[in-house]
Amino acid sequence: MDLLAQVLINGVLLGGLYAVMALGLALVWGVLNIVNLAHGAFIMLGAYLAWHLYTYLGIDPFLGLPLTAIIMFCVGYALQRGLLNLVVRAPMFNTLLITFGLEVVLTYLAQLAFSADFRTINPPYAGNGIALGPLVVPLARLMAFGVAAVLTVGVWIFLLRTRLGRAIRATAQNLVAARLYGVEPRHLYAVTFGIGIGLAGAAGSLYGTVSQINPYIGATLTAKCFAISIIGGLDNPLGVLVGGLVLGLIESLTVLYVGATFGDVASFGILVLVLIVRPSGLLGKTA
Amino acid sequence: MTASRLGVAVAIVAVVAVLATVPLFSSDVIVQFGINALLLAVLAQGWNIIGGYTGYASFGNSVFYGLGSYGVAIAMVQWNLPFAVGMIFGAGLAVAFAFLLGVPVLRLKGHYFAIATLGLAQVMSAIVSNIGIAGQNIGLVLPPLNNDHLFYELSLGLLVIATLTVFWLTRSRFGFGLIAIRENEEGAAVMGVNTTLYKVLAFALSGVFTALAGGIHAYWITFLDPDSAFDISLNVKMIIMAVFGGPGTVLGPVLGAFVLSAVSEILSSKVTNLAGLFFGAVVVAAVVLMPRGVADVMRQFRTAGWRYFVENLRAHRI
Repeated sequence: MDLLAQVLINGVLLGGLYAVMALGLALVWGVLNIVNLAHGAFIMLGAYLAWHLYTYLGIDPFLGLPLTAIIMFCVGYALQRGLLNLVVRAPMFNTLLITFGLEVVLTYLAQLAFSADFRTINPPYAGNGIALGPLVVPLARLMAFGVAAVLTVGVWIFLLRTRLGRAIRATAQNLVAARLYGVEPRHLYAVTFGIGIGLAGAAGSLYGTVSQINPYIGATLTAKCFAISIIGGLDNPLGVLVGGLVLGLIESLTVLYVGATFGDVASFGILVLVLIVRPSGLLGKTA
Repeated sequence: MTASRLGVAVAIVAVVAVLATVPLFSSDVIVQFGINALLLAVLAQGWNIIGGYTGYASFGNSVFYGLGSYGVAIAMVQWNLPFAVGMIFGAGLAVAFAFLLGVPVLRLKGHYFAIATLGLAQVMSAIVSNIGIAGQNIGLVLPPLNNDHLFYELSLGLLVIATLTVFWLTRSRFGFGLIAIRENEEGAAVMGVNTTLYKVLAFALSGVFTALAGGIHAYWITFLDPDSAFDISLNVKMIIMAVFGGPGTVLGPVLGAFVLSAVSEILSSKVTNLAGLFFGAVVVAAVVLMPRGVADVMRQFRTAGWRYFVENLRAHRI
């Protein structure tokens, strides 16, 4: 019973982190209709950025998170403005391919710059935990979960309440009409992609504190983000949070009861099932 | 018109004949490069049937590849059957998979289809690594056959058959049905195309060629494990080659596979650690400047010249 409770705690904490990883992917996908295959690579870059800030400048990964997010936002803005805006209206294959090409380029650049060694961000409190009777809540994971929850709700409020957020949602619904109301799509697309990449950078700094990083983690993370976006739907950041929690719990429970090698079977099996039964996501509107 | 078509046909037969004699006077390295390039061309051509003609971006073709590889390996290692029987077994597995999972998955469209098939590939890899007869996650070792010439000619033969099949698609009722589905699925259904049947058949046809290529590769390499057999990046490679060459054309995917194989081979021998970087950059540049592939560049460049690239830039930007 204690074991089950401990696994549930770990699953929920992992799920929060998953949610913030997938948030940027879902936003870009929903608004720009680009499935960004390089999303995981940007999470990887964010993790390396946080690692460098911590190792060479001594900036704590949680305090350095806004800085990482802002730097990654600028990278994302420039990339969309300079490159992706050129192909944003092309057929789906082409946008998939160009982001795949970016993934390859980023992975190789990371390998050249940072070498293939495993790195971890190890602040002094990394091993600490809060004891709850027989259970332990790992402190770093709890903090990562808290930041993830704040970011998710923050993005939700931003999209719902602010002028820029409304413009983004309007563009997602109808580009022509949004343009008629004075939205400048080149800038707005770049801002949206920048926010997506900024969130990936934030997720990367959190990921670096709870897991190992190397240049090749991107592809797997992208696949997980896909699964979460599908389970949660693209309409609403809170759906993505639910998707992340579902995936975190399912993975943890499968590893406990069925075996470690079945973790991916469960998450992708659920993904296929959800797609077949409810193509717009568990919480999405029925098409 | 017919004269020029005859000319093209004669030229293609001549190229195939030259390719068939390559192993007689080339080094082992060239023959091995040739086997790889020919098999990749078969994969790109197989993907072309479901992705290029039917318009369904499959990321699940690596499942067919893995099933073909494992079909040959299980038949030869566990049951001591000949290679040819293994190939038929592998192709049979692919067809069965296409029919069983094609029906629910092919109901999805666009990104959703792409991602569902991606999920299937991940699931299959994990399932196979837990099956005893498939050697679990350790894999299987096949009896070695040191005859690269044979593998080369087999791969070339398979590529010719696959390309002829695609050529037949461009002038058969079945092929027109697939193109109609790609252009407008509801419209095709209204015009009396049995869309579910056509899509599943296209998926199965694509799967058969992919599985056969997987079978040849498994016997040639003599070793396979779940990670390499169901490798997603191989699926991405087929898509890149087909799209680079020109999806929905008869020769485009073959051309794309040859050009990109050569580029990556030359790059990895000249500038080893930058090869991947250049490959990624080539993909990015190709998507921006020639989104309809090499085949389209060759058709349009003569009349449009350099303006062709500028037009492409204008067409899709915002």
